[in-house]
Amino acid sequence: MIHNRLSVFRAERALSRKDIAEAVGVNPQTIGYLERGDYAPSVELALKLAALFGVPVEQLFSLKPFAPLAHSLRDQES
Amino acid sequence: MFIRSKAHPFGRQLNTGTVRMLLIGLYVLYPLGCLLQLVPLTSGGGAALSLAGLGAVVASLVIFTVLAGSSLHRQTQEPESLLDERERDERNRASFQAHSVFSGIVLIGVLYMMLTTDMAANGKLALWQPTEGAHWNAIFGGLILLSFTLPGAVIAFGKSPPEVD
Repeated sequence: MIHNRLSVFRAERALSRKDIAEAVGVNPQTIGYLERGDYAPSVELALKLAALFGVPVEQLFSLKPFAPLAHSLRDQES
Repeated sequence: MFIRSKAHPFGRQLNTGTVRMLLIGLYVLYPLGCLLQLVPLTSGGGAALSLAGLGAVVASLVIFTVLAGSSLHRQTQEPESLLDERERDERNRASFQAHSVFSGIVLIGVLYMMLTTDMAANGKLALWQPTEGAHWNAIFGGLILLSFTLPGAVIAFGKSPPEVD
């Protein structure tokens, strides 16, 4: 299974699924399936999404579950 | 066969529950309508049954027309170049499963015909067999409807699509 932080990045940029879908050339439902973890994207789509958010692909997709943001913030503070 | 309209070039968005109900309606009404029409034909029954059967068949065709204009049906009928990678993956899986189900139904039908013909020839058991043009038309029409809608049905009865944000 491939985990992703697509919904976090999308919320941060205040983008709709339709906005992202249009930018990467897919159906808005596909973005929903990705966010829900029901679909593993091709390398091409993963790279397009990472480029859209301006982050390395491994910040958006991972084979291991991402740590919750609260944990990351707490680790940074300590 | 995907019916594209100017108002909905990518097909009308129907929620999963509606699509499932329409598919169940189609798969129940068409055979029921055919049976109601064909039984009076063979047993000399009433015109009311035949009319009710005709109504059920017409209702199933209306349902088919609604489904043929839906976004789900677009996914199963559109050329590959007009679908994204997830839609193509989903369609390929659904087509494979639909093909298996359709082949199974056709095989069972052929087996039934073989056994009933054999039994009738030996004078053992007289089971119903299609004998008239109307019987074959009903079977052929049903198989056409099934082949057009099965891939969409596999998708519709699979995972629910994500909610619109």
